[in-house]
Amino acid sequence: MSRRVAIIGYGCLKIGKYGSEVSENELSIRAIKLALEDAGISKEDVNGLVTTPNYLLTLGLQLSVVSEYLRISPRVAAEIACGGIAGGLALKHAMNEIALGHADIVVCYGSVKESIRFKNIALVEPGMGIEIYDPTTQPYAVAGVIWAYACSGRRYMYEYGATEEHFAAACVRNRNNARHNPWAAFTTPITIEDVLKSPILCSPLKLLDCSAARDGAAAVVLASEKKARKITDTPIYIVGVGEHHDNSSFIPTDRCDKPITSFVAAREAAQRALKMAKVSVDDIDVAELYAPFSPQELMLPEDIGWFKKGEMVKAIMDGSTEIGGKIPINTDGGLLSRGHPAMVTPIYETISIVRQLRGESGKVQVDGAEIGLIHCEGGMLNNCIVFIFRRGD
Amino acid sequence: MIKLSSQPEIIYLQPKNHEPTLKFWEGLKNRKLLAPRCGDCGEIFFPPRGFCPKCLSENIEWVELSGKGKLHSWTEIHYLTPKPYILGVIDLAEGIGRMISRIEAEHKELKIDMPMKVDFIDVSDKLTLFIWRPDKVDSKHQKSESF
Ligand SMILES: [Zn+2]
Repeated sequence: MSRRVAIIGYGCLKIGKYGSEVSENELSIRAIKLALEDAGISKEDVNGLVTTPNYLLTLGLQLSVVSEYLRISPRVAAEIACGGIAGGLALKHAMNEIALGHADIVVCYGSVKESIRFKNIALVEPGMGIEIYDPTTQPYAVAGVIWAYACSGRRYMYEYGATEEHFAAACVRNRNNARHNPWAAFTTPITIEDVLKSPILCSPLKLLDCSAARDGAAAVVLASEKKARKITDTPIYIVGVGEHHDNSSFIPTDRCDKPITSFVAAREAAQRALKMAKVSVDDIDVAELYAPFSPQELMLPEDIGWFKKGEMVKAIMDGSTEIGGKIPINTDGGLLSRGHPAMVTPIYETISIVRQLRGESGKVQVDGAEIGLIHCEGGMLNNCIVFIFRRGD
Repeated sequence: MIKLSSQPEIIYLQPKNHEPTLKFWEGLKNRKLLAPRCGDCGEIFFPPRGFCPKCLSENIEWVELSGKGKLHSWTEIHYLTPKPYILGVIDLAEGIGRMISRIEAEHKELKIDMPMKVDFIDVSDKLTLFIWRPDKVDSKHQKSESF
């Protein structure tokens, strides 16, 4: 038994810094309330809650607190983790629970205060989370995860002739889009020159090539097709989902032949999602890609299939990934400008695509967008999940 | 638990290694780069682990590697360090895997895929670490061969 599942509502808070005046669970309630209002349903209609880790090591019992705050008793609830794809997995679990008939309306939400935990740059603090690396990698891998993405970027420059200007162009594209996103953390206009002149963190990556850890909370409401048809005129169906986990962690070290400029997990996840959705990559109207650092903004559109390897060097400069181009990417600013509350980022990506497919994106609206794609990743593209959404009738 | 050294020459974190791979770290003290070999199926692999990734046997022997490799990529880290240093990805010459290591070189000397060789550095009485440098002899040798 498998039922079609649609997204019928969303709500989120502006990404930024929320201090001690509000808790993670309170931020969750704010986002959930907005999502329920958008869907036009009451909290009593909800019979499932799915979320992602909030870094408070509550082992998922944040769900009990949120249930109590909402005074609802869901039939299904889960906190799900696998690095940066947590939000994608939560969405998939929510979808599956509805598809299997275990629930009819599920809220998928996330809420984190990452600006406190990670200072300014995503996942950077000496020795923090060092257990994610092999012991032979640990001694010198002081600076979070940036070094790995930087090595990937430098190798891409060598293999495909990209320069730091090409990477910077992706930052500028994202920033131009973020200016029209009411929830983006970074909206001040920037130029390629600004990116090149920002402080070096791990060469060739400078400050503005890197996503910043920020706080955020977001929620989407999923419903069975039957419920969705009753509740909304604009259901956004989840028509494809693909997932892949490569046998590697960050830079593949178990063998020498795996590239770090192309990612098998991204390719496989995209292929599976497209196959399930019965569409080709060129049918996609708009996409949100999870690139925590600028070089991967060039690699991912190649891996997902819009461009051949190396073609993004030209495409990032000629408008191919801007609104009106071959495939508009990260029309709400991407991780680099929207801000990156990692455990919630995939939900923000989903919201961005839902808005595009509903025609609510204002100045960054892609004309007539009907099919959208989101990608998210964990580790360094070792774990990927891709969703394809389609506007219903 | 995690100690960030402030020695000017080298910045490192104490690795969280486990009993089955202590031989690797002892090898470094003796100026040897060791890798595990499965006593059952013969697989030689890297990074070191207490079991064979091919057949999951815990019957592990140790073999010495050539200490040669190629520079797959590198970055100069300017963040969270008193002075910049270079971190690189080394493709081991034996083709069994990669090492993530500090590179002792000026960044101007570095070229992707250039030959590299391992060296060893005593960072404390108890810990010796690997460090990789451009293999200048080897690159000269390769040049003379191509003439
Ligand atoms: Zn074996």
